[in-house]
Amino acid sequence: MADLRIDLAGIKSPNPFWLASAPPTNSGYQVQRAFEAGWGGAVWKTLGEPILNVSSRFAAVSFNGQRVAGFNNIELITDRPLEVNLNEILETKKRFPNHAIIASLMVEPQQEKWHEIVKKVEAVGVDGLELNFGCPHGMAERGMGSASGQVPELVEKQTYWVKEVARTPVIVKLTPNITDITMTAEAAVRGGADAVSMINTINSLAGVDLDTWNTVPHVGGKGAHGGYCGPAVKPIALNMVAECARNPLVNVPISGIGGISNWRDAAEFLLMGATGVQVCTAAMHHGFSIVEDMIDGLNNYLDGKGIASVMDLVGQSVPRYSNWGDLDLNYNIVAQINNDVCINCNKCHIACEDTSHQCIDLYTESGRPMLKVREQDCVGCNLCAIVCPVDGAISMVERKSTIPPMTWNERQSLISNFIR
Amino acid sequence: MSDHLLSLDEMKQVDDYIASGFKVHSVRENLSGMFVEFKRQEEDVCLQILTAEARKYLAAKLLEQTLKQEETPI
Ligand SMILES: Cc1cc2nc3c(=O)[nH]c(=O)nc-3n(C[C@H](O)[C@H](O)[C@H](O)COP(=O)(O)O)c2cc1C
Ligand code: SF4
Ligand code: SF4
Repeated sequence: MADLRIDLAGIKSPNPFWLASAPPTNSGYQVQRAFEAGWGGAVWKTLGEPILNVSSRFAAVSFNGQRVAGFNNIELITDRPLEVNLNEILETKKRFPNHAIIASLMVEPQQEKWHEIVKKVEAVGVDGLELNFGCPHGMAERGMGSASGQVPELVEKQTYWVKEVARTPVIVKLTPNITDITMTAEAAVRGGADAVSMINTINSLAGVDLDTWNTVPHVGGKGAHGGYCGPAVKPIALNMVAECARNPLVNVPISGIGGISNWRDAAEFLLMGATGVQVCTAAMHHGFSIVEDMIDGLNNYLDGKGIASVMDLVGQSVPRYSNWGDLDLNYNIVAQINNDVCINCNKCHIACEDTSHQCIDLYTESGRPMLKVREQDCVGCNLCAIVCPVDGAISMVERKSTIPPMTWNERQSLISNFIR
Repeated sequence: MSDHLLSLDEMKQVDDYIASGFKVHSVRENLSGMFVEFKRQEEDVCLQILTAEARKYLAAKLLEQTLKQEETPI
């Protein structure tokens, strides 16, 4: 059994699986049930001046029968008074002293407001704070959430104000609604953040009802943009985590969030530099019990690899993430089709013929339809393997180049000597 | 001609110039591809390279030429 305990900037938890600040962490009842189910930590539903919500609040995007491929919400932060939440945090912490409880906070960008709330939540014994600079709707219109999270100076200043009084580790939760998340991550670090977490939700409109022409969701016939999360956002979140992990100025631990639905997603985030992960949509879709499979799966994976502690996984893939200009232009792969398992659906042929490099030939052998890749014309784009419905029917294989490795950056510097 | 055959043809032209004593003197890239100026004493020829494969190949030849020049004692 591998050691699944993590230490994220001094916040310890029995495993790397935390519930993200959202409906699953709305109350003590829920967080305690989550801990019983096996979650290692919970970031409490964002605390601040209690808000008013609208109805409805959620919408989901199904894709080809897969429900909740993406999830959209227009919910705001907690609508319950601070004292009610604090009492429940106190009670939960008493029952689960070894689990991590992090208080997510959002107030107006004023020093005294941050000081006040930090002191109040730390008094009940939270293990850390998460500053919500990410919520993209509603709160942003009031200058909070992503409105301040998009401005590096405001991120830095507010983090600094929190650090002036905080005694527990401070995690700054970043918005993905920005061109380059490392700018705000760096600002958080400059402000004294002990860790950063990402991503909050991405500005979205889930859809338009073709019968009524209402937005989805709508509130009595009117809609407003919401925040997108769930499996669809995972690649966006993973890249943002990786970009921060490889940035030497973002030299603090990262809590990875966004589309994490199972242990595999979690392991990918850890490999890309996250010290732990947070989950919202998958728990809302399937319930707290999904954490059992996450724990088992991660444990088996580590055991299988002979890795003693989950912390040893953190960041292992970061050095492999680079810039396009540092990739080898002369590395070659080509597609190879195994006609023994191919079911002749011809999807690969159509894909290559219509939208790639026209190099999958159809022919017959002893009356049997076959496919073959003309390797010399294959650019190794992967498209045929991506669309093929049969595992193992198409493999991408390396073909050693006859010329030495050369990156774009190396090429350009070489060519610059020949520009006359 | 397929892209592949065209690239083979372009790479052969590069090889032929180099084999007959030409050296790359200058390289210019623009919307129309790569223009390579080869020189052999007073002789001067320009080759337009269209294919991506041959442009990669030419860069490998540039590297070879540069390394050879660095090795050549003055
Ligand atoms: C309905 C809903 C409410 C949310 N409320 C909050 C919140 O109050 N504070 C916060 O920091 N993030 C909030 N989030 C964002 C999540 O914490 C998380 O960053 C996001 O959903 C991405 O993770 P996921 O793909 O696992 O859902 C909310 C998300 C949803 C779906
Ligand atoms: S890898 Fe791309 S180019 Fe090669 S056969 Fe497949 S689709 Fe065609
Ligand atoms: S997509 Fe896969 S199964 Fe279909 S024809 Fe191509 S190799 Fe065969």
